[in-house]
Amino acid sequence: MNGDSLERKLNKKLQKHYGTAVRARIGQDAIRVSGTLSSWTDIVAACSMCVQKGSHLHVVNDIVLDGVAMPKMREPSWSDEKLEGRRPDVLVIGGGISGASIARELSKWKLDILLVEKEADLAVQASGRNDGEVHPGVDLNKGTLKQHYVLLGNKMYGKICRELDVPFERCGQYVGFTRWWMYPAVLAYVWHRKFICKVTDTVILGRKELRRKEKELNPKIYFAMYNPSAGCVCPYGLTIAYGENAAENGAQISLNTAVLGMEVKEGQIESVQTNRGRVYPAIVINAAGTFAEDIAAMADDRFYSIHPRKGTNSILDKKAGHIVKGIASVKTLKHNPAHTKGGGILHTVHGNLLVGPNAEETYEKENFATRQESIDAVFAKQKMTAGRLDKKDIITYFTGVRPATYEEDFIIEKGRRTQNLIHCAGIQSPGLTAAPAAALDVEKMAVEELRKKRAVEQNDAFNPIRKGIPVLKDMPKEERDRMIRKNPDYGIIVCRCEEISKGEILDALKSPVAVPTVDGIKKRLRPGMGRCQGGFCLPLVMDIISEYLQLPPEDVTKAGAGSAITYGRTKGAGQRRRDDGETI
Amino acid sequence: MERPYDVTVIGGGPGGLAAALKADEAGAHVLLIEREARLGGILKQCIHDGFGLIRYGERLSGPEYVERFTDSFRQRTIACLLQTFVTAIDQRKDGFLLTVVNAHGVMEYRTKTIVLATGCRERTARQVAIHGTRPAGIFTAGTAQHLVNLSGQMPTKRCVILGSGDIGLIMARRLTLEGAEVAGVYEVKPEPSGLRRNIAQCLEDYDIPLHLSQTVTRVFGDSRLEAVEVARVDSSMRPVPGTEKIIGCDALILSVGLIPENEIAETLKVPMDRGTKGPVCNSDFMTCVPGVFSCGNALHVSDLVDYVSESGELAGAAAACYRPEADCKEDVPLLPDGSLQYIVPQKINVHDGKETVLYFRSRETVTDGTFVIEVDGKELFVKHYRNLRPPEMERIKVDFSGSGLREDARITVRIRQKEGAR
Repeated sequence: MNGDSLERKLNKKLQKHYGTAVRARIGQDAIRVSGTLSSWTDIVAACSMCVQKGSHLHVVNDIVLDGVAMPKMREPSWSDEKLEGRRPDVLVIGGGISGASIARELSKWKLDILLVEKEADLAVQASGRNDGEVHPGVDLNKGTLKQHYVLLGNKMYGKICRELDVPFERCGQYVGFTRWWMYPAVLAYVWHRKFICKVTDTVILGRKELRRKEKELNPKIYFAMYNPSAGCVCPYGLTIAYGENAAENGAQISLNTAVLGMEVKEGQIESVQTNRGRVYPAIVINAAGTFAEDIAAMADDRFYSIHPRKGTNSILDKKAGHIVKGIASVKTLKHNPAHTKGGGILHTVHGNLLVGPNAEETYEKENFATRQESIDAVFAKQKMTAGRLDKKDIITYFTGVRPATYEEDFIIEKGRRTQNLIHCAGIQSPGLTAAPAAALDVEKMAVEELRKKRAVEQNDAFNPIRKGIPVLKDMPKEERDRMIRKNPDYGIIVCRCEEISKGEILDALKSPVAVPTVDGIKKRLRPGMGRCQGGFCLPLVMDIISEYLQLPPEDVTKAGAGSAITYGRTKGAGQRRRDDGETI
Repeated sequence: MERPYDVTVIGGGPGGLAAALKADEAGAHVLLIEREARLGGILKQCIHDGFGLIRYGERLSGPEYVERFTDSFRQRTIACLLQTFVTAIDQRKDGFLLTVVNAHGVMEYRTKTIVLATGCRERTARQVAIHGTRPAGIFTAGTAQHLVNLSGQMPTKRCVILGSGDIGLIMARRLTLEGAEVAGVYEVKPEPSGLRRNIAQCLEDYDIPLHLSQTVTRVFGDSRLEAVEVARVDSSMRPVPGTEKIIGCDALILSVGLIPENEIAETLKVPMDRGTKGPVCNSDFMTCVPGVFSCGNALHVSDLVDYVSESGELAGAAAACYRPEADCKEDVPLLPDGSLQYIVPQKINVHDGKETVLYFRSRETVTDGTFVIEVDGKELFVKHYRNLRPPEMERIKVDFSGSGLREDARITVRIRQKEGAR
């Protein structure tokens, strides 16, 4: 179909639903939908209507949401000149799983790599609010980038997690069916997935076999589709590990650094303005998650849109860990328009259960507020997977926002108008699984692009091995004893729920991408993630940070600037400290 | 390996110290293991007074109260491991093998009996389903108390307190004295959960408003808490739409309940009481696992430390004279009806030749109630109470020895309300 007739067709469709409020225009590089609508749901629907499967044209949303001021990007409230004048070969924007893995793969080359992340830590947004499933890709269609990278990425997980010292387990995924008559249809589906889509591990398990593997699933499940290649990983743990390995191999990671604007001339990004100075990169990699579209716009290369989709997960006490040993969900017949499998139950690498996520469209990219309704909806559904699931076991919950494109596929390609730009955008589920493979391709594209300007040599000093902080609680007695005798701080337990020592916290404070905040420590080691949720260890972790950095306790924050935990000394404490210099 | 201990007490708070002292007095070879660097447990941070009224007839502060125990503990030179964490307990034929970790390494100790005096922990914001963002400034009352009283740091300038548990009330006063403003205490139940004396001395004396049947429904703020939303609740404690109100504050302090810490007990497969969330135990404070005893707030959450120490002493003394071979006796369960929240101990030793101490809580507020124990339909013990309130635990002593208790006896427990009274 040529551009004009497509445009006519789309506008006819739009007119039917929204009258003259919205119209589509086929541009050279995108389908732009503009107008004004009063509900976000309508905007998402209107844009989705214009999606052309298989076309290189993506949908760009220019529809104005009537009467709503779009929330601005959360960014550090302060600025300095730390990066002023830096001329990196590669500027990676975004410290999620995409940006961190790309930086690490690029560090195999003799390049000056700068990764900027606006938050106070890596993996704060989508990669830190992820369920951690390493997908088998069985639900994806052939021909999508998602499917391509998921299959490759899944296979890479064992090796990459060994290299980066990150716990990973192929615990298997079960999709249960409660209606026996669905068997022939599922059988055909499995055959298709196995032989056409090349998800070769797909099998059907009968009731007995399923019961043997997962005792506590709903007994009404007649059979299940099973993929032993599915696994789980700690999503922020892996992101941080990638970041650390990149840093160890020479990449610079600059946290609290937001990209505020770009200077683009003749299809080239000349400079990038951050709150920490202006930098002049040879090439830029856009791995900005929900803000990838905003970065693309700054780079004059906006040919896709992100429609944020939030989801909420609950974490259950380890006591409930026996209910599911792998990853389980039940397929219902109800049509699910929300582009998610409706979540499932996942046994995390740390032994908790994770239940969720749901999916809700939102225009707020950074509204991570949780709502009880989301949790209730997820539990209502997942009770069909395992009846013993109980909300009473919930110890915490969190909301994340997926950066979805209207095509529901990844965008991993060079800029269309801007030459020294590579997009790694729309990396929503199963982006975590895809990331290791996608990073290799982005690395290739970047090196190729740089080679147009100069020679790029291999970094002979590259070491793919990253050692994580030792986990003493999982060590055999003798080894743990030996470690403590060398460093007695390993014997001082600070977090009683997760059994974490002062020595491990000090290790985290000395790690390659150290984040000396309570949340930074929590993400690296888990104090505060157990059943007391930091009730006992918060003051102790604060003390260790304040002592290590020689900071007054009121300068220790939860998650960076503005999130101080205390407001300075109490009346009495000030007096006594001055008198005898002793901390009480 | 050194010779096995007769009694190992886990936890060096008021319960554990009392247990270790009594076991030592009874001639046992005792070891006390404490996770923190100093003995005293939570009392170290309870600098308010009111401790020891029953035991000493004095109003002591927490540290003063616990000092009386630590002084005699040191005089008696009882073996003690500080800043030591129990990582595993394995049951052996002749007792238990404890694996502990401290700055010296990983060590193992053998012991014939264990007294679990591990205290309790606070229910968290997530466990009462508080939603919204997750900024800094949301503390449990105990954490806020640690920050103020031990770290000497102010966690707030203006706060809302959710829950009228005793620590919440104490912190309302404490923070006020330190110059913070307490915008109000919100309690989801129609009645306060704390002791009456604390309502009077901590809220009324300082004009801090207490809002009953209201709860915090949401929190706001990106980095630091900026406000909370409160709403009235209906009779089933669900927020009533339209009653929401936003209150600006930089901290939300939660005093929404305490949960006995029984992670170790659970690894030993000690059966738990759903009412107390602590182990089921008999009148010797022994759990259903022979040789494992429980006391203090790990057994059930007490509101007075005097009773924590008392149960510690009883458990310690019983552990000291524990004989594995004499253990085959059958315990008779107490059968409380719906008028009680719980009664502890839950079982009576048939051969008890002494008076048995029992602790109980009523399920509802009762005026002019009568607490009755019947054995096989015959009244054994009757006590009249002018007032019984769920937040206030009652303690009684009952002599079962004269009742000719048999193993198949039916012991029922209930609170009889006066006709027409409520």
